[in-house]
Amino acid sequence: MEVETELENMKDREGGAELVLNLQPSSSISIGYHSSFGPHDDLILLELDEKLLPDFLHERVTLRGQPNEDAVLCTTSKTYAVKFVGNSNSVFLIPPLDLFPSCGSTQEYEETSSKDLKVASIIKVAPGNMELVEVAPKLDKLKLLLSQNPYNFGDSSEMEGIEGDDRTDANLYRWEDLVDRIQASDMELRSGLNAIFAVEINGYWRTLDENYKDGILNMLLHNSVLNDWSLNSLYEDEVVAVLVADGYPSEIARHCLRMFGSKVNEGVGPSCWRLDERCVCLHFARRILGAGKMKLEAFMDEWVNKVPSGMHATFDMLEGEILSEKQGIETWIHAFSVSSLPSTPAERFSLLFHKKPKWEWKDLHPYVRDLKVPGLSSDALLLKYTRRTQPTLDAEPIFTAR
Amino acid sequence: MKIKVRCSCGEGKCPEWAVVELQGVVETQPAFQNRLHNLQIGVLCRPSSQETYTFTVGYHELTGTKVPLKKPMLVLKKIKPASYEGDNGDGENGSGSAGVEMEVIGIIRHKILFKTRPKALISGPPQPVAKGKLSTPTSL
Repeated sequence: MEVETELENMKDREGGAELVLNLQPSSSISIGYHSSFGPHDDLILLELDEKLLPDFLHERVTLRGQPNEDAVLCTTSKTYAVKFVGNSNSVFLIPPLDLFPSCGSTQEYEETSSKDLKVASIIKVAPGNMELVEVAPKLDKLKLLLSQNPYNFGDSSEMEGIEGDDRTDANLYRWEDLVDRIQASDMELRSGLNAIFAVEINGYWRTLDENYKDGILNMLLHNSVLNDWSLNSLYEDEVVAVLVADGYPSEIARHCLRMFGSKVNEGVGPSCWRLDERCVCLHFARRILGAGKMKLEAFMDEWVNKVPSGMHATFDMLEGEILSEKQGIETWIHAFSVSSLPSTPAERFSLLFHKKPKWEWKDLHPYVRDLKVPGLSSDALLLKYTRRTQPTLDAEPIFTAR
Repeated sequence: MKIKVRCSCGEGKCPEWAVVELQGVVETQPAFQNRLHNLQIGVLCRPSSQETYTFTVGYHELTGTKVPLKKPMLVLKKIKPASYEGDNGDGENGSGSAGVEMEVIGIIRHKILFKTRPKALISGPPQPVAKGKLSTPTSL
């Protein structure tokens, strides 16, 4: 036997995926096990929509999750659950030749295969593949993380001296720390941070302590009276300068405008803000109800008193913020804010029905309208988690737990 | 934890992998059980210009077709940083998963699917040393 030439032959006969994909009519190839055939658990098949391909090709995709969580896959704007789908068929994977060059002995081929055929080799039998299902980002944890160490007066005074206390660095999170811990895409994480009015201070994302928030808002309102500012046109530079003089850091002063107002002039001239009536009024309502439940009349009196002059506190502002109950002829209200509720539908509905077994639509709506599940309409959500009863045709429908 | 999914293929240049899929499993004769590497399974033949294929395994012949996948499938490879090469535990969830990355190394757009029962060949092909035994799913 001329071993040399046989080995040469062998080289010529090797082919990979190209050989299978481009098999010409009236021709045959041999299919065999690759010299490094094996379980190759590090090779994973992922089925995906054609429209997601560019995100992969341009490296805009990451897998996110803690070791104890199911991994999610995030593009820049969306979050997907990653599910394994088994396949009872034998799925033979044949890589391109240059990716897995054959190595080792060619002896077996000589013994076993049809000598004149080219060979395509199987590297692995795939037990199934992963697939992607779009899901809502898991942002509840964000609220929880940032509530551990909210920004307060202590932080504020500390900023003046460089000498920082190590203690305050505990439970503080940079952007990268949040990306590590929160299962959401970058865009979803940003809007999640906006939704809870978090602000980046010294590299850490913080929410403001309630008392601190109250302090700076009151300081702003106080100054607007002193300086005769209109709450509908507050010049950012002016406001920030005054608040800084009162001891607030400038980025917090700016953040205060973002929390309680909106920009009036986008991009033209010096930045000018208008305070949002509902935001400001709600803030005071929450402060008043922080103490516990109150009689409606007493609450309204105190509330109307507290809000700055020029603003009007109206009961409908409290949609999704309070629950009322009748006791005899009296109406009592207590704080129950939709922003404090979980964002996954199952947990949200379970908590709502735990709070109150029966809901009228007008009461329920403010507490469920923000729920979003990809691929499920809000009607479908209601159908899934509630039972709707309507005693008579013109009666208000009542929702109970399913 | 964040795991980057890398891709060095560039736009539209992902190397395409081939898939041959058949029902049931291919069993290897006991004599070859421990020496699968480089062992031939069978012969894939495209008899005509149509996308019809036969796959001859031992004394059995399967008939199938090349089908485009409804959705593409990416082949990902888990890449451990060199320092973790040693630990071969359940790396994905273990503490040694820091620095792990995924890389796109290929794409699958077609498969040659054999979903029929194998047909017995009356006279076998010459000398199939690795006579594959095809067993079909019990549901058939």
